[in-house]
Amino acid sequence: MPARRRHAVQDDEEEDVQRQYPQSPDDVDGDGDERMEVVGQRDETSQLIKNLVRYALACEYSRTPIRRDGIREKVLGSNGRDFKKVFAGAQKQLQATFGMQMVELPTKDRNLLTADQKRKAAKSQSQKETVSNAYVLVSTLPEAYTKPAIKAPSKVQSADGEASYIALYTMIITIITLSGGELSDPRLRRHLGRLNAAENMPGMNPNDETSPSEKTELVLQRMIRHGYLVRVTESKTTGDEDATTWHVGPRGKVEVDKDAIATFVRAVYGGSNDELEKKLQMSLKIKERKPGVPETVDEAAEEAPDGDPGPSDRRRGRRRQTEAEDEDDE
Amino acid sequence: MDDNWEPPVPAGYSDANRAFIQAFMARGTLTFREAQKLLAAIQSAVSDDGSDDTDNTDPQSITMADFENFIRTAREAVEPLDFDIRNTRDQVRGGGERVWAFINAHSDPATQLGTSRTAEEVAYIKRLLDAMFEKHNTARLEVMAVDEGQALRESRPAGGGRASNVNGNNNDDGGQEEEGGGSAAATSRGLKHSEVLSLLSSLVAEGWLDKSRDGFYSLAPRSLMELWSWLVATYNDADTEWQQIKFCEACKEIVTYGQRCNEPNCTIRLHDICEEGFWRTRGEKKCPKCSTPWEGNHFVGERAVTSRSGFQRGRGRRARRSTAADAADAAEDVEDEEE
Repeated sequence: MPARRRHAVQDDEEEDVQRQYPQSPDDVDGDGDERMEVVGQRDETSQLIKNLVRYALACEYSRTPIRRDGIREKVLGSNGRDFKKVFAGAQKQLQATFGMQMVELPTKDRNLLTADQKRKAAKSQSQKETVSNAYVLVSTLPEAYTKPAIKAPSKVQSADGEASYIALYTMIITIITLSGGELSDPRLRRHLGRLNAAENMPGMNPNDETSPSEKTELVLQRMIRHGYLVRVTESKTTGDEDATTWHVGPRGKVEVDKDAIATFVRAVYGGSNDELEKKLQMSLKIKERKPGVPETVDEAAEEAPDGDPGPSDRRRGRRRQTEAEDEDDE
Repeated sequence: MDDNWEPPVPAGYSDANRAFIQAFMARGTLTFREAQKLLAAIQSAVSDDGSDDTDNTDPQSITMADFENFIRTAREAVEPLDFDIRNTRDQVRGGGERVWAFINAHSDPATQLGTSRTAEEVAYIKRLLDAMFEKHNTARLEVMAVDEGQALRESRPAGGGRASNVNGNNNDDGGQEEEGGGSAAATSRGLKHSEVLSLLSSLVAEGWLDKSRDGFYSLAPRSLMELWSWLVATYNDADTEWQQIKFCEACKEIVTYGQRCNEPNCTIRLHDICEEGFWRTRGEKKCPKCSTPWEGNHFVGERAVTSRSGFQRGRGRRARRSTAADAADAAEDVEDEEE
């Protein structure tokens, strides 16, 4: 009996979660306590899972990446060791209830480092980081559920503003990707000029009488902050002007993936045909290339009539040298 | 937790239910008519085999029972995560059209209206709510709404004021606003007038505020549902008979737009949309509490002001004043544009 009492006292000093479970009267040895502890832990874990799910949804609301550090700080607290378990549980919960999943953002592209940063990285010889430890929520629902009547633009700030914002970054990401993943600043500006968006773009709330539109520069900055675009400015040692280039940011790569780009291009071109599909497969390196069609044939037919070329594979990657020619051919 | 744990979902839960929840969360609120279109699109998607067919389900074929089924299932699915779906009737518009809202069960202005806002904006929203439910909600004038000039007057924090804490209980939300909320009060510089107007406009676009034809901002059904318990806890004092927030004698929901008893000290309130049914069940049009004859010409909401004869004159003056304020503020804006 004294042993029993000691147990009870110990239990009282333990965590709240366990206190909720009354001990059964015949719990005289340690067995029952162990069982209680398991129940208590599971309860605590599901609480953490719930908090992580809510945290993920809150982050997405403001397009903030879900960061591992943030999860540790705001969700796990002193339970830092449970990360793996809680994260896996939250993934299951997000999938089961909402049809969503946290997808890890790609790491920073090494090509986007400036020469300076590259040198530093090489010098330090540090292990290259292979994970970004940052996630975004994406929908895992089948394509049939992605039509606008179901998946309307979110009302954050305003549905109209959200719609035009999505349209603009999708357009810019598509142009960058089809230009080989990199676009010089003057070329981006020229494209924006054609969209009548060189100076101003619709604001996040076009119904706002005081500022229905925003300066293009501000919108581009927001796209950078949200991770849709990356701007790289490399200062030339030779005394030339600084070269600014635009790339697709981590969130952009996840949210506006190759399928989305292809769908967008089809919409712009007013539907799909064999020639367009061929070009898309080439430009986006999509697998289902039609068998038996030699690549050289495609390249001849590649330049789109309006000067927005789907670039050939040759042009991919380091294309800074070809930039000058590109400037001329428009 | 073992690896083969599966989160519990309601029976028969499918992608159609998940799509419904996603769509609901993006929209924030749904009316039955909006839900008909949404559910028709979802049903077409269910039967769709990936072809590019246009919607083949007629929205009119979606019944209230269909909608309520989806609501019930969605509610069951999100309740364990401290989300909820509530509904209420619009006190003002659409002849009392019922509105459903996807809400956060633990809610206060900082977590809800604030998730994509700066700390300054969250602090402003709190001041705006104080203005609606305290300053412009007196026994003499129960406006519970503010016009533009009054909204602008809250742009900068006043000295003193109510000490209630916006960030009272949002720690379980892991929200974005944490760095801001607590310290905002100490260092608050307020918002510029143009920033206030932009914020108000986007709160209207998001469905948190309504703006009336006479230019009054009031809480939209979405806010009333989302902030229900926070509002009552913040502005009502359990120990007194007089409450800042009063409830409709018929439907028991908050009244921010309706009628009040002619006896100034009586707390009985009634929605316009509830009035007809309420009097039909009673013999005579008398206040159920103090038996004062109910004339229906004493108002809660903006009509407390607009029904007064001096309103038109006053509005003219207010409008001029705020235009002048705008102009001064626009000049200020040119030099410092952030974001």
